[in-house]
Amino acid sequence: MTTPPLETDVVVVGGGVTGVAVLRDLALRGVHAILVERFDLGTGTSGRWHGLLHSGARYAVRDQESARECIEENTTLRRIAPHTIEDSGGLFVLLPGDDEAYAAQFVEGCRASGIPTEELSTAAAHRREPLLAPDVRLAFAVPDGGIDSWALLRSMAADAEARGCQVLVRHPIVGVERTGDRITAVRVHDAVAGQDRTIGCQWVVNAAGAWAGDVGRMAGVPLTMIAGKGVMVVMASRYVRGVVNACRKPADGDIIVPQHQVAILGTTSEQVPSADDISVPPADVDRMIDMCAQMVPAIASGRVLRAFAGSRPLYRPEAPAGNGGASGGDTREVSRTFTVLDHASRDGLDNMFSIVGGKLTTCRQMAEAVVDRLAERMGVTEPCRTATEVLPGADHGHHELAAPLARVEQDQAYGELICECELVTRGQVREAVASGLTELEDLRRKLRLGYGPCQAAFCAWRAAGMLAEGSEEGDPVAGLERFLEERWRGQQSTIWGDQARQALLNHAIYRGIFDLRGDGVPDEAAAVSPEDGA
Amino acid sequence: MRADVVVVGTGPAGLASATRLAEAGRQVLLLARGNGFTHWGAGSVDVLGRIGGEPVERPLEAVDRLPEGHPYHLVGQAAVRDGLDWFSRFTAAAGLAHHGDLEHNRGQVTAFGTLRPTCLVPEPAAGELGGRVAVVNFAGFRDFSPALCAQRLRQAGIDATPASAPLPAWDHDRYFTGVELARAIDDAGFRRRLAPGLARAAAGADVAVVPAVLGVGRGHEPWADLQSLVGMPLVEAATTPPSIPGLRLFAAYRARLEQLGVRWQFGFPAVGVERDGDRVTAVRSEGASRVQATRCQELVLATGGVAGNGIEANRDGTLTERVAGLPVDGFGDRLGFLGTRFLGDQPLAAAGVRVDGELRPLDASGAPLLANVRCVGGLLAGHDPTVEGSREGVALATAARVADLLAATPAR
Repeated sequence: MTTPPLETDVVVVGGGVTGVAVLRDLALRGVHAILVERFDLGTGTSGRWHGLLHSGARYAVRDQESARECIEENTTLRRIAPHTIEDSGGLFVLLPGDDEAYAAQFVEGCRASGIPTEELSTAAAHRREPLLAPDVRLAFAVPDGGIDSWALLRSMAADAEARGCQVLVRHPIVGVERTGDRITAVRVHDAVAGQDRTIGCQWVVNAAGAWAGDVGRMAGVPLTMIAGKGVMVVMASRYVRGVVNACRKPADGDIIVPQHQVAILGTTSEQVPSADDISVPPADVDRMIDMCAQMVPAIASGRVLRAFAGSRPLYRPEAPAGNGGASGGDTREVSRTFTVLDHASRDGLDNMFSIVGGKLTTCRQMAEAVVDRLAERMGVTEPCRTATEVLPGADHGHHELAAPLARVEQDQAYGELICECELVTRGQVREAVASGLTELEDLRRKLRLGYGPCQAAFCAWRAAGMLAEGSEEGDPVAGLERFLEERWRGQQSTIWGDQARQALLNHAIYRGIFDLRGDGVPDEAAAVSPEDGA
Repeated sequence: MRADVVVVGTGPAGLASATRLAEAGRQVLLLARGNGFTHWGAGSVDVLGRIGGEPVERPLEAVDRLPEGHPYHLVGQAAVRDGLDWFSRFTAAAGLAHHGDLEHNRGQVTAFGTLRPTCLVPEPAAGELGGRVAVVNFAGFRDFSPALCAQRLRQAGIDATPASAPLPAWDHDRYFTGVELARAIDDAGFRRRLAPGLARAAAGADVAVVPAVLGVGRGHEPWADLQSLVGMPLVEAATTPPSIPGLRLFAAYRARLEQLGVRWQFGFPAVGVERDGDRVTAVRSEGASRVQATRCQELVLATGGVAGNGIEANRDGTLTERVAGLPVDGFGDRLGFLGTRFLGDQPLAAAGVRVDGELRPLDASGAPLLANVRCVGGLLAGHDPTVEGSREGVALATAARVADLLAATPAR
């Protein structure tokens, strides 16, 4: 069986928020494009972060260009994608050991960058965040928020596909065909069908984020990305209503982001040789907890669900050619702004652009910048409309923590709960199965099934049962074993106390009561797709 | 407060120890933080299900193949036999007859359609899966999937077909758990309304596998009654916690302990001990508003391992025994707690207190630490109750040993 070659105007490489935003921007300008992604959407950095919708305040002192980009896009995303945002607000708090002079710089930096701030009395700060440390000296409110990157990805991808563009997941790029100074086609591997495909194209946009250097190498252009690993810790409850930041020079463990029903503590910043290094040393977990507990003391004795690491897509133009360079350094000094690279003027490769650096909050702006340059070269005069065209699904306002509970109450669906921790109902699972999802992993990303404190002990096998009822084909038990092994990987550095007990009870259920032994699961079950955050 | 013997823990080991000591004439106080592994298990008696991952056919014989230091070696085969004999007598008298013996393991059907190796199973789970097997769920019950169960049974060569039986109208149309369904099935009228639908769903089969929810407050009577109403053997499949067969057993223990005059403080975790030299003189437990001390002659710790909350796993890789601060071998760091695969072995599950042949805790050098403290069940080092499938067997054998040791001690 052979698959016919594909043809398109633009191939976008990378299914993170940047690539998908580029695809949507092209679609809105009437340009046909195909996005290729090696795993699933959002399995790289876009799925492995703390979920902060930046107000920009974190960069207000040292990196005002990034700060201005953030507040601009924060406002835009609230307009075009409110359903992906939890409007929780944020605080910056000054603790006894912190430098008051920094607080003054912070206020001035926010003012200069156009970020609205309000100084709160410590009493007001404690009313807003009752678990805040009693010895907080100063508190500033900023328009931080939470954003669900999977919801954002799904919305942008659906919009682009509805406008005729294509998304190919599980299609890693394996080669680039060049004739002289031009790319004529991109070769991808269809990991599901197990065969290579060729996509003929006029243009290529490299939006592979932390992996952009690998794509550059295939195309024959030098491009040095710095892999800046950040470790994040997921706590079993929220602790805070809104985001809480330490008002100090950015450092390890200075932010708590409430997301859905958990809190995510962030983060470290360490240069590592490869963006695929997502290991989580226990010492990093300990440091996150100890530092964040300075702001919210209850975290010190709290229950940790899991930990994960992501790789920031950092680009340093003056870095010497070659892959990565040194490792071990703090990567916070590298600017968080973004850069468009036109490889025609830079490297003599006529028809490829790279978009590097940046952050999730600015993904739309990054896409606009690169597509503006590309459109000019293509002779497309249609202007960018992504800042004004509202995304599909945006008709319900901001998403709220209590929304799933309200839905369950409205439907009187208490008895239909498959995942009690995340309030996922039988109806939702049935609908997802009917739409063609066959893997528990996909159900998890779509429905948040299995994210809660029990880490899927009770819902995973219920959902596997529904998969078995939905189809005679496939082996739901093997699928379940695969799912359980994947969930396990994010937990090992965070197992102690209550969560150790939970892990052993889960083990006693699946291995003890059900006598499952994982015979069908290869050791490298991990390789099916990369583990993702939250 | 004062007691002759304080038993801490209401899992399989604590319940058996307290009952047996009271039967031997000791005055017993039972202290517990909460429910134990009666509620978390498969509802059967595992003695030795697997060695090195391979199923064991003859559990008593296979005990010899266990490594040195295993609790079975410390108490001996006689205690294993005594423990199970006592349990069989106790449960039969309580209307919870079990099938099986120490010479053979048998397969207990689970909601996954696996046949887990175990030793004694309650009568409602003991039926043979021969001929045509209907796998039937009660409509709306979330913790049983006939499709999943039947699929695995077919892989094992059993002619299994999934089906669903409607529930009669009842108070819990919108939300119910296994416990609520089991309580409803305790009612004879409900069973009469339930039976026709179940019979229709299983029509043409020789035997029906159903989730283990056939009554919780009346022993095995609801199962026997429903079976005769349906007119075909019903076999209960083990499903996720809480284990309803375990709840039946727990209720039987509680009734027996009350009958024996055992005082019972549930929800009052033991948090420390008072010592005089190598003897514990009192147990401290958390009360409603204060810590109370109960003076005692003997202390039996049946608090469980890490899973049972008898041992705390600390962030730095060390382990702490929660009541008497007994030494427990820890790990270099917490990455050593668990294996790299969830369904593999978990080193933390085997962590426990090392004891001598009289179940007294040992210090790091191997010398007895406390003369009047005995450790039983999951708290003991040297075994992994889940991976070996030995939880109830170790509990009953060590309870037998404790009853033997302490019954012989004259009251002071």
